[in-house]
Amino acid sequence: MTALLTVEGITKFFNQRRVLDEVGFSVRAGEVLGLIGPNGSGKTTLFECLAGLMPADAGTIKSNNKDLAPSKRKEALFYLPDAIFPWAEQTVSWVLGFFRQLYGRSEQQSSMLMETLRLDELMRSRIGSLSKGERKRTLLALGLLTPQPLLMLDEPFDGLDLRQTRDVMTLLKSHAATGRTLMLSIHQLVDAGRVCDRLVMLSAGKVVGEGSIDDLRAQAKLSEGGVEEIFLALT
Amino acid sequence: MRLDGGLVRRKIGTSPNSKRSFWRLVSKEWRELFASRSYWLLLLMIGPLVGHGFITAVGLYAEASGTGGPAALAQGLTPLDGILVPAFGAYDLAATFLFPFVAIRMISAEKQSGGLKLLLQLPGSLATKVGAKALVLLGGWIVTLLPGLLAIGLWKFYGGHLYAPETLNLLLGHFLRAMLSAGFGFAAAALAENAASAAIITLGFTVGTWALDFIAAGRGGFLQQLAAYTPAATLRFFEHGLLRLNIFVAMLAISVAGFALAGIWLHPGRSWRFRLLGTVTLALTLALIMVGANGVRASWDASENRRNSFSRADEAALSQIRQPLRITVVLSPEDPRLTDYEQNVLRKLRRVLPRLEVDYSSSSRTGLFEKPEDHYGEIWYEMNGQRAMERSTIEEVVLEQIYKLAGINPAAHSDENAFSGYPLSVKPRGASWIFYGLWPLLTVAAWWVQNRSR
Repeated sequence: MTALLTVEGITKFFNQRRVLDEVGFSVRAGEVLGLIGPNGSGKTTLFECLAGLMPADAGTIKSNNKDLAPSKRKEALFYLPDAIFPWAEQTVSWVLGFFRQLYGRSEQQSSMLMETLRLDELMRSRIGSLSKGERKRTLLALGLLTPQPLLMLDEPFDGLDLRQTRDVMTLLKSHAATGRTLMLSIHQLVDAGRVCDRLVMLSAGKVVGEGSIDDLRAQAKLSEGGVEEIFLALT
Repeated sequence: MRLDGGLVRRKIGTSPNSKRSFWRLVSKEWRELFASRSYWLLLLMIGPLVGHGFITAVGLYAEASGTGGPAALAQGLTPLDGILVPAFGAYDLAATFLFPFVAIRMISAEKQSGGLKLLLQLPGSLATKVGAKALVLLGGWIVTLLPGLLAIGLWKFYGGHLYAPETLNLLLGHFLRAMLSAGFGFAAAALAENAASAAIITLGFTVGTWALDFIAAGRGGFLQQLAAYTPAATLRFFEHGLLRLNIFVAMLAISVAGFALAGIWLHPGRSWRFRLLGTVTLALTLALIMVGANGVRASWDASENRRNSFSRADEAALSQIRQPLRITVVLSPEDPRLTDYEQNVLRKLRRVLPRLEVDYSSSSRTGLFEKPEDHYGEIWYEMNGQRAMERSTIEEVVLEQIYKLAGINPAAHSDENAFSGYPLSVKPRGASWIFYGLWPLLTVAAWWVQNRSR
């Protein structure tokens, strides 16, 4: 698979603290790439730097071997942050309709998403009145309505119960099968292993491993074991 | 579940649909504005505020017109001063204390909820997004003008007189005043971390402009020139029926600069270097525009009684003067003679004499403890190397002195176009019901209906 994006040397300081340390990896077209790491490892900061919503102190993002300036990133990728309450006074129906019309999606596409994410009964509810899981599903629908080649989802399973997590995983895999590339930030390592084609492991702002589970197992010099064991071995 | 993969590769943001995207953003901002409690509170309060101003004004106007007693001089009875300015005074209050918070909410709500992170990734430039917000906010202000327009309608219904140019000029002044508040509110909200900090910045700015107004009064020089551009001072010109091009340009430029500053600071992905450079460039551009505007003397007296102009004969005579005139005023800022002199003489002179320079040389604020050697109360006129002193602040006396120094013949006066005034003794019938009852009721009903329909 060809690289959709190449991330090189992304560094970010908060005051004197280095939160991202020359982060580099590649995103391949059509894959589901997991960005995994414990809380505070810099996943969200990295996503915001990649989306151009936070200035990086160093590093570049390349698409087709050309620098992708922050102002052009929204044409290549869409980032769905975690824990946001956008337009709290508006209804789910209106927000979905707004995105659908803005991106020229059909009502059929929108209806299928609503059905899969079980949003039908929430359509008249306000965003501000939704539970964490309901809000997460609504936001996922918004992300899936966007057309950019790369969709970055920050903690897509956070707030979802077991059944919903399984359904969303299926939905994301199906979405990726249409040719769209997904990059998921996940702190639950087991979830990451189940949904992602490849993983980028982040620890204390550094990339400690990149590749499929088999590749990472080899990097960690383990003969067996899941994502958790690999992560512990590499950090 | 499958989505159309073909759409994935479609280029967005610069697509031919960007015009449609803009109107979708405008529609979203309308919904957000109508979802904002601060806006509904503004709508709810503006009716009774305008009503109070209007009802009181109609009562006082009737008294001055001779209800139950002797009438004041009819020439002094102008609907601009008597009705429009007091009724629309509510809008100055609203633009100072209510409207900035509606503006702040439009930015801060999305900053705090995280909606901004989504908004910034939607099609369209940041300028388009701030533009959509500004457009909606100003549209929202126009909706708040309804009680004011109702007051105008009632006044006409009572048989009152209105002079369209001065009425429209006043409406323009209040619109520009609101634009200033909107621009400043946007900038404060973009700069501050949260809505509370933005509110403090806005209130601090308001108090600062009041202080500047107070300090600069009767001082002359740069400080007084600067104070002419505070929101309260700029509105005053419109309330006097005067449309000055420099004030118009300055109000427009400051407002747009506020929106532009919001655009520079709102995007969290921009570096400090970009923000600082953008801010400095913006400040320099604004300073250049302000300096340029300050040199523009074009103005239009929209008042029916020509209160900002000398008689046409005097204006023709004064327009012959090409030499610079320097006036040194030894009157303190709190001396009523200075106020009288400013309003009746200097304001008019500034419009017709392009090379007028005024120095304020009183050393105290009140003028109560000046010594004889301080020459308190004197007004010196200097032209063609000649100097003359006059204590009077009466228009005719001052003009005679200037004509003498300029060596031109005084103008011959005629009374054919004298303003006769518009006395009207009526009661504000039905106004209380409309402003204190119907308006709040309609506002609450409209809020309820739109709240349910969302």
